[in-house]
Amino acid sequence: MLGFVARRLLYLVPVLLAVSLLTFLIASLLPGDLAYTILGDQATPEKVAALRHDMGLDQPIWWRYLSWLGNVLQGDFGRSFRTGQTVLQAVAERLPVSLELMLLAQIGALTIGIPLAIACAVRSGSAFDRFMTGSAFSMLSVPAFLSAILLIYLFAVELRWLPATGYIPFHEDPVGNLRCFLLPALTLALGEWPVLMRVLRSDMIQTLQEDYIAMARAKGLKPSRILLVHALKPSSLTLVTVTGINIGRLIGGTVIVESIFALPGIGRLLLSAIFTRDLIILQGVVLIVALGYVLINFIVDLLYAVLDPRIRHGHA
Amino acid sequence: MKAAIRSRAFAPIFHVAVFGLALIASPASAQKQGGSITVGLEADIPGFDPLKVGVFDTAALTAASSIFDTLTTLDDKGVAQPKLALSWSSSPDFKTWTFKLRPGVKFHDGTPFNAEAAKANFDRQKDPANKCRCAFYISGINNAQAPDELTLVYNLKDPSVNFPAIITIPSANWVMQSPTAWKTKGDEYNRNPVGTGPYTLKSWAAGDRLVLERNPVYWNKGRPYLDRLVLKPLPDAQSRFASLQSGEADIIWDDEFDADNIQKAQKDPKLKVHTYAGSGAAVYAFNTKTPPFDDVRVRQALVMALDRKKMSQAITNGLSRPASNPFGDGSWVKCKDDGALPFDVEKAKALIKDYGKPVEFKMIVTATPRGRTVGQVLQQFWKQVGANMEIEQVDQATIVPRAFMRQFQLTPWRIVDLADPDAQMYANFRTGSPVALANYSNPELDALLDRARVTPDPAKRTEDYCAISRHVNQQAIWFWTFQNTYYALSSAKVKGLPKMYSGVIDVSGAWLE
Repeated sequence: MLGFVARRLLYLVPVLLAVSLLTFLIASLLPGDLAYTILGDQATPEKVAALRHDMGLDQPIWWRYLSWLGNVLQGDFGRSFRTGQTVLQAVAERLPVSLELMLLAQIGALTIGIPLAIACAVRSGSAFDRFMTGSAFSMLSVPAFLSAILLIYLFAVELRWLPATGYIPFHEDPVGNLRCFLLPALTLALGEWPVLMRVLRSDMIQTLQEDYIAMARAKGLKPSRILLVHALKPSSLTLVTVTGINIGRLIGGTVIVESIFALPGIGRLLLSAIFTRDLIILQGVVLIVALGYVLINFIVDLLYAVLDPRIRHGHA
Repeated sequence: MKAAIRSRAFAPIFHVAVFGLALIASPASAQKQGGSITVGLEADIPGFDPLKVGVFDTAALTAASSIFDTLTTLDDKGVAQPKLALSWSSSPDFKTWTFKLRPGVKFHDGTPFNAEAAKANFDRQKDPANKCRCAFYISGINNAQAPDELTLVYNLKDPSVNFPAIITIPSANWVMQSPTAWKTKGDEYNRNPVGTGPYTLKSWAAGDRLVLERNPVYWNKGRPYLDRLVLKPLPDAQSRFASLQSGEADIIWDDEFDADNIQKAQKDPKLKVHTYAGSGAAVYAFNTKTPPFDDVRVRQALVMALDRKKMSQAITNGLSRPASNPFGDGSWVKCKDDGALPFDVEKAKALIKDYGKPVEFKMIVTATPRGRTVGQVLQQFWKQVGANMEIEQVDQATIVPRAFMRQFQLTPWRIVDLADPDAQMYANFRTGSPVALANYSNPELDALLDRARVTPDPAKRTEDYCAISRHVNQQAIWFWTFQNTYYALSSAKVKGLPKMYSGVIDVSGAWLE
């Protein structure tokens, strides 16, 4: 097991290097020179040249990449030219909001997806199953910005049950905090549950045809016990993968959802960094998000090994 | 020092100041103390240290008008009134301005506000070593002097007859910040601003709430009225409006491109639409050194082809107000004849025909949905009169350097709402200015611009500025589409909002009914 973990960790190094290079290149190749952005309406050629020199933008790109990477390796991700905040400060302030949002969204998606998947798998081919797979498909095609506005209109403007926008920290008011997160998490969950439900449903249908399930039925075990204990665990391998991969989609979703619901998370930070050409923040945040994504996938790999001993023994 | 003394000798003759009575007048009985409001802004505020942020955007200006004070403030007629300065006077050439400061004012951290503090604010921005982006906007001021505790002198490079009105905007340049605070807090000062204003900073969560509390020892007794202001960035226009409807926000920023919601709010008795018809306009400059715009007939034809009413319908449901000169309804410059060319498709066609050659050109637009829409509408108008325009989409930040280097045929620009037209008119049309984008030079126009900035009599200045407008309109070197109009939507309970000068929602004097 230890060797397995070590090897997996080693794979991460080239992945992260590639991510850092791509991040840097994308940020550097964005149209609109940083010096022009900073100087705004005073971007005379002389001032631009002077500022580019001060910021090291006149250095060759590989040199800028290496010096940035060198700083990052020492834990210095840089400082925003707009706010003077360091990247780590900015991320530390905003990360908890996005993590809570993603966690609640994921819980929401699983809460909707798993029971529906089981129900469909048991009655596969029935009218209920066909209806649910159909609606899952249509839910997939509703973009988050639309469902967000519809939810706000219904629950905040018409019914006035939940706030339309805003954020209250958990330590100030736990209930208020959850109320703030309910609509944004639901928005994200609405886009996620169909994926989870569809993979679990098809895996479950296969599992239910296995001999040992027939055996369990023959032994007279309760149907609920068969489904939840004997069938669910072996069927959930793909579900775990998809849940892990979905984190990437969720991070993308937070950019939209956090803007609409005015949650001060990573997504908003990223968006405003793009709009204001705050490249230092942009590069830093993308790298940290990528790091998180890679680590989550690493954990998913480990979970496989836990769920299915064959992986552990076969490859390690 | 000498200059200051000399200027004070002339002071009685040119005394334009009013003593600080208007502001201290006892509050009307209707204004209630207490309560709290939440303001929904369009963007995150990056901070308040001029050295860090350079300029304040509109969101930061709203916060700045509550945390800080300026020396002077505009009344609702657009005339400068006392704030931290009680009175002022200028030298006969309008190059030296002397301000008498209000005694006994303290910053929130206890530092006394005096001439030294005001000078320190100026010097810090001006110091070349600080490389402040803000220095650009005070480049017309040579230095500031503090001859005594309560006397502040600005020595200007060029004459400025309306200087006290120009410094009313709560921008990075003109709000007074505590020198002790920026010295002791260093990098942290940007997010921990200290001013003399009616509200003090209580807390600020990045990207979220900026909470301000009533300054109990504010120099203007009885003010402010509210106990607390909460400023929140609500970047999405739809959910910002939903927050107002559902009561999470009491007042929100808006603009005419969100016409649907503004019109919805106009019909809602629980909401109030605050609007300010400012000076300035959305403008466009022809590069008169490049064909086909080196021929006045082409320029005139394109301007005459514009149906601004139809365009307003197309882009903002008819909310945009057509502009026929660069001053606008909000300016004190009112022209009987601004020389605007009429909307006349036939005349335009005739002019193009007369020109004889095909009219083909590129126009720069910002690569945003709004920029594209405006470009497409213009393209259609011009097609009708036989001119082919190609849209070139560029990044917002790229427009400025392209304009400076005159790498364009036709570019969008903006004349913003300021208290006095001089700065922008002089920069936009005087021969040799870096933003005289049309590349047009005319001694008559230059003479008018030079005279208008040193004429103290507003009636005479108005005549000069109207003559300038006639010249520019007739030569069609620039054209204007729509005036600047600013919007805020609020719950009907929110009272006491002044005019939104420069588009700033100033809630520092607001109260709840």
